[in-house]
Order: sequence, then structure tokens, then C-alpha cells
Amino acid sequence: MIDTFLMSFRLKNAYQTNGIIYSLKSIPVIKKLLPVSLYRSPGLKRLANFVSILWEIISTFLSKLLYLFIMIFLLKDHMKSSPANSFMHIFFFLTVAGGFLNTQIFDPTRDKYYAIFLMRMSARKYMLSNYFYFLLKIVVGFLPFTLLLGLLSGIPMVICLLMPLFVVSVKLVFTAFALHSYVRTGHAKNENKFNPVALIGIAASLVAAYLLPFLGYAINGAIFLTLFVISAVMAVFSFSYVLKFREYRSICKELLTADSFVMNRKDMAARAVQKSLQTNIEIKATSSKSGYQYFNDLFVQRHSMLLTKSAKYITLISLTVLAFSITACFLIHEAKPVINGMMLTFLPYFLFVMYFINRGKVITQAMFMNCDHSMLTYRFYRQPRAILFLFTERLKSIIWINLMPASVLAFGLPLLLWLTGGTDNVLNYVLLFVSIVAMSVFFSVHNMVLYYLLQPYNIGLEIKNGTFSILNSFTYFVCYFAIGKKVPTLIFGTLISVFCIVYIAVALILAYRLAPKTFKLR
Amino acid sequence: MKLILNHIVKSFDKKEVLRGASFAFEKGKIYGLLGRNGSGKTTLFNCINEDLKIDNGSILLEENRVKRELCPDDIGYVLSTPVVPEFLTGREFLKFFLDINMKKIPDIKPIDEYFNFVKIGMEDRDRLLKDYSHGMKSKMQMLVSFIANPCILLLDEPLTSFDVVVADEMKRLLRQIKKDHIIIFSTHIMELALDLCDEIVILSGGVLENMEKDDLSNEAFKDKIIQALRKDEND
Ligand SMILES: Nc1ncnc2c1ncn2[C@@H]1O[C@H](COP(=O)(O)OP(=O)(O)OP(=O)(O)O)[C@@H](O)[C@H]1O
Ligand SMILES: [Mg+2]
Repeated sequence: MIDTFLMSFRLKNAYQTNGIIYSLKSIPVIKKLLPVSLYRSPGLKRLANFVSILWEIISTFLSKLLYLFIMIFLLKDHMKSSPANSFMHIFFFLTVAGGFLNTQIFDPTRDKYYAIFLMRMSARKYMLSNYFYFLLKIVVGFLPFTLLLGLLSGIPMVICLLMPLFVVSVKLVFTAFALHSYVRTGHAKNENKFNPVALIGIAASLVAAYLLPFLGYAINGAIFLTLFVISAVMAVFSFSYVLKFREYRSICKELLTADSFVMNRKDMAARAVQKSLQTNIEIKATSSKSGYQYFNDLFVQRHSMLLTKSAKYITLISLTVLAFSITACFLIHEAKPVINGMMLTFLPYFLFVMYFINRGKVITQAMFMNCDHSMLTYRFYRQPRAILFLFTERLKSIIWINLMPASVLAFGLPLLLWLTGGTDNVLNYVLLFVSIVAMSVFFSVHNMVLYYLLQPYNIGLEIKNGTFSILNSFTYFVCYFAIGKKVPTLIFGTLISVFCIVYIAVALILAYRLAPKTFKLR
Repeated sequence: MKLILNHIVKSFDKKEVLRGASFAFEKGKIYGLLGRNGSGKTTLFNCINEDLKIDNGSILLEENRVKRELCPDDIGYVLSTPVVPEFLTGREFLKFFLDINMKKIPDIKPIDEYFNFVKIGMEDRDRLLKDYSHGMKSKMQMLVSFIANPCILLLDEPLTSFDVVVADEMKRLLRQIKKDHIIIFSTHIMELALDLCDEIVILSGGVLENMEKDDLSNEAFKDKIIQALRKDEND
């Protein structure tokens, strides 16, 4: 079994290493700095290998530290119960929630697929050894921090030491139950798919974790120890069940069939696109246009589930929120000045909202998956004229789709401002409207231009382009940091509108110049 | 008309796949391109089709003694794994293709005639391409590369996924159109190559080599080809 584990570890390491090298290669600056020969040199391989192992170690500890610190340690002082009891209480219920969330065995990952189906390793050995490794990482990763943070919170040392073991026990019990339910139902539940029972369990545990201590009800050391003993006893039986279980292979078969394997991508958007490829292409669609317009028209209609329908939902939700706010203004008088103030200073927040509701990224993924990755093999499709013509058509559709929800905000915000008492400076109304529209168009253009200039996808929709990932994270962080910044609408609105317009112009010029060269299969 | 490859060199990183391949392909003949797995047949096609940039050498088309560069409309390329836009139906894909190539296609026929031509049944024509079988996708791909009537046809292992009846018709079709085209055809099926092709060209060691049949019997010729392909191993 150890052999199997070492082999699987090497396998995982090997493709992580390749992934690191590949994404390094795709960042232009680094590409220039490194001579071609270096890619293949053992040195770089070793470095990437080292990084990958280092990451494994760091993530083992760091994730646990962050989890304990943010989810528990920081919050324990805001509870009515004592810090020590709150800590134990929250820890207990979050661990239960974690049991619902992830048992490792029912998580369909690519590692499993490679190892079991491509490399034909023994499913049972592979699953068990990796499962034990997973448990080991829990103990090792948690121990230093339950000790440190636990002692700081005034929890007895014994309990601090037992806490990691408690997590392991809970995992084991949940795993045994999941395996048992597989035997009973003959159906393996994919952990990453929506499952109402798990969802209710998680929600209940979360409520219990935070609400009870907030109200002053929390378990104490004695109760924690009792619960620990109970779970430990159950865990012993669970352990032998897990160990004796024989049907790992058939579980993997069901979990890792092509579509559910593809479906498990952590990336929600990718999942949505993949799903659309399987089921959501609607046959109903007609178009009276011709040529590339016909082509694009059918694309949009066939993907309406993914594109227009979700935009419509977002529009509806925005309308509802708007209606609520308007009602609130009339019913509660104190709400008026608050909302009025928000309209005049909270515009940065809407940068994040606009980022969030923009469908651009999903749309480009759908374009690649269902269309470009096959069409780009045709020569006529790669002619500069064709690329640019289709680019224009697509940009029009994307802007149009995204403007639907944006228009609700663009009209709604000035309306709210007016209803809540208005403002001396009429420019505020105009700026609210213009900047929302500008931001909407900006994100549409941004996504499309990045797609055409970098074409970062491959058939698995893994993003294999360092520049693209960096730009994407950068965009996200900028939008994220805008949250909660209070800047007068006059200033922010002007700046953002000007920025968007300049950006759009520059990006479009770049796209028209460069896209014929950069838009291709990798 | 001749397709002239002049000392084509292509390497990936350090691996030299094509090492100065030269050949003149003539109109009116079907060329069978044979080579071991990984010898570079697909790479050669990709170079001719300008999907890959060649490192050295030139690819020219000679027409009435005048040499010129290739342009996209000269080439029809059928890939070994068919790719079609999955969200369109067969009919829509054809309509789209005809729309945008309107000017280049001399006599546009009704769409159904094209389907009849490759024997795709009535009930399949309005289904999404994602639900087509491998062979049907191949047919669609072949159809669109034939419709625009390019003078060079590159076929990368095309007939392998066709059922015997369709494969037979494709053979007949290729023979029928060969007098106006330069057809290069890669395959691993020796019988097919000997049966269909007028010339056998071997890609081995990164260069192209014409196999003269002279007056050898089929069996002896086969042996000669296999010997030539074996050479790679000894290098
Ligand atoms: N994009 C690429 N990057 C690096 N190496 C490549 C690339 N494409 C092909 N090769 C290499 O070039 C060589 C030739 O590949 P090619 O696909 O042309 O062979 P082939 O003759 O078509 O083989 P087959 O008969 O299996 O289809 C192979 O060794 C392959 O590894
Ligand atoms: Mg090939």
C-alpha cells in the first residue's frame, strides 16, 4: 500500500510540476528571461518539483491555521459564552459541517482519475492510502495550531491535543456512513454536486456553531470530552468498516465517469459550461441572418440557458432588491438618509457588484468549449477578416446581454437617489447612470479582449496561461478592494467612467490589431 | 499544376521532425503518404496548411510554369479526428459554410444535395452535430473541405472511421475528382494505399522519398515499402 501511495504521490507531483512549468512558460516576461533550453533542463524541473512539494507542506499547515484563526479564533471574543467554551463549541460544529462537506473519498478529483483509470492502480489501495494520508495531514496540520490558539483561548491542554483527533474521528464516521449509503443505494454521491441533505446538515451546523454561543449557549470542556469519546468509539468501528470495504473501484467508476469527472472542476463557471455542453444546447433556434451573424445568432440562442436566461435572473433579482429599497424608503423614514448617503458615496461597491454579475467569463468559456476549439481548426475561420467580424458580432451580443441587468442598476440608482431626497448637484444622477453603464461595457469588453488576445483555454477548460490568470486575479482583487471604500460619487463616478472609456478604446484597438495573430488554438 | 516542397525543416524545441523534406506533388495523381507513428505526417500537413510555421524551406504552387505562394483557398484539409461546431445542426453548419464561401463556390446546389452526396440520412440532417457519430462528423468535415473545391486536398487518415460502403464510395469519389486536384493522403493501411494511390511516398527520417513500383509484384512492393519504413529504426 505504501508503494501505491508513493507512486500516486509521484504521479500527482509530476503533473503539478509540469503545470507549474507550463504556466511559467506562458508569462511573456519570464519566457524572454529564460532561454528555451532551460525549460527542458533538469534544474527547472527540480525547482518546479520543489515548489510543488513545498506547496503541499505549506498548504497543509497554512490552510489549518487560516481556518482556525479566521473562522474561530477571531470570532470567539464576540460571543456571550466564554472564549474557551466558544472556541470548543464552534470547533465542534464546524467539524461536523466539514464532515458533510468533504470526506475525500467521494470527492472526484483528477488525481484519482489519472491514477485509477489511466495508470490502472489498484483502486482500493490508492483510495485507502490517500485517505490515510489525508487524515494524517489533518492531525499534523491541526496539532500545532489547536495547541497554540487553544491555549491562548484558555482551553485545557488535553483538549487541545485531542481536537485534531476529533476531526479525524468525525471524518471517519462520515466516510463510513457515506460508504454504507453507497452499499444501500448503489449510488455514489458526488460531493461536489448539490445535495439537499448535506446542505441542510451544513446549514444547521453553521447556525449551531455561531448562533448558540452568541446567545450564550456553548458546550464546555466536559461535554466536549464526552462527545469526543463517543465519536472516537464510533470512529474505531468506522475505521474497520472503511478498511474492510471492497467496492472502491465501483465507487470511482461512478464518480469519475467522463462527465462527472469534468463536472467536479472547482471552477463553477467551467462546470456550468461543461454542463451546457452535455445538456443545455437547445435545439430550438432559428435565425434569418446569414454568414457569421447567423452563426453567432444561433450560438447565443442555443446557449440561452447559460447566457440570456441567467442574465434575466440577475435582472429580476436586481429589480427585486430595487423594489425592496424603494419600499423601505417609504415605510421606514430612517432608511432614507442612509440610502441617500450610500448613493452618494458607495459607488465603489458597485464595481464589485458589476464584476460579479458580469457573464463575460462564462460566455467566453462557452465560446471556446462549444465553438472555437473546433472551428479554429478550419482555415477560413482563422482568416483575420473572419476573426474580427465575429469578434464584433460577439462583442455586440455580450454587451447587450450584460446591459440587461446593468440597465436596472443604471436607472435604479439615480431613481433611489431622487426618492431619498435627491442631491444639489445634478451631475450625480448623470454620473451614477453613466458609470454603471460604463462599468458594464467595460467588463464585457475586458473579458472578450482578454479571450481574444490570450486565448487561455484548452479543451479541459483548464486555464493554461499565466498572464491570463494574473490579469484575472488582478481584476478580481481590484474589484474586491473597492468594497467598502467610501468615495464621493462625483469623484469616483468621473474617474471610473473616464477610465472605462479609455480602457475600452485602447482594448478594442489592441484587439483589432492583434487578435488575428493571437486568437488560435494552443 | 504542381505542389513543390523545398527542403522543409521543422522542429519542436530540439526534436527535429522534418529535416529537409522535398517533393513535387503533381496534379492528377493520388499520393499515399506512409510513415511510422510519430514520423511527422500530421506535422507535414500542418506545415503545408500553414497551421505551423516552417523553420526553413519553402512551399510553392507551380501553375503554368509560374510559381506562387499558397493561399488559404488552395487547400482543403481533413483532419484525422473530425472537429465540428457541436452547437449547430448539420444543415446549419452547411448553410453557414455556404454563406461565407458564396463567392468562391462556382455552382451552389441546394443543401440537401450535399447531404445526399455523402449519404447522411434525412433524419440526421437537423440534429445537433454533437450527437453525430465519429464517421458522420468525418463526412461533414470532408464535405466542407470539398465544397469550396480547393486544388490541393490533404487527407490525414481519412477513411478509417467510415463504414465499408462509404469508404468505397469515398474511394470512387477521390478517383473521380483526382484529375483536377493534387490529393495527398496519409494512411496506415497498406492495402488501401496500394489500391487507391498512384504514387507511394514515404516519410522517414524527416525526409520524403518516392517509392518506385517499377515492375515489382504487389507483394514484393509491399516488402520494399516495409523495408524502407524499417530504416528509421536503424538510424
Ligand atoms: N505541438 C507539438 N509539440 C511538440 N512536439 C510535437 C508537436 N506536434 C508533434 N510533435 C512531435 O512530432 C513528431 C511527429 O508527430 P506527427 O503527429 O506529425 O506524427 P504522425 O506521423 O502524424 O504520427 P501518427 O501516424 O501517429 O499520426 C512526434 O514525435 C511528436 O511527438
Ligand atoms: Mg498523425
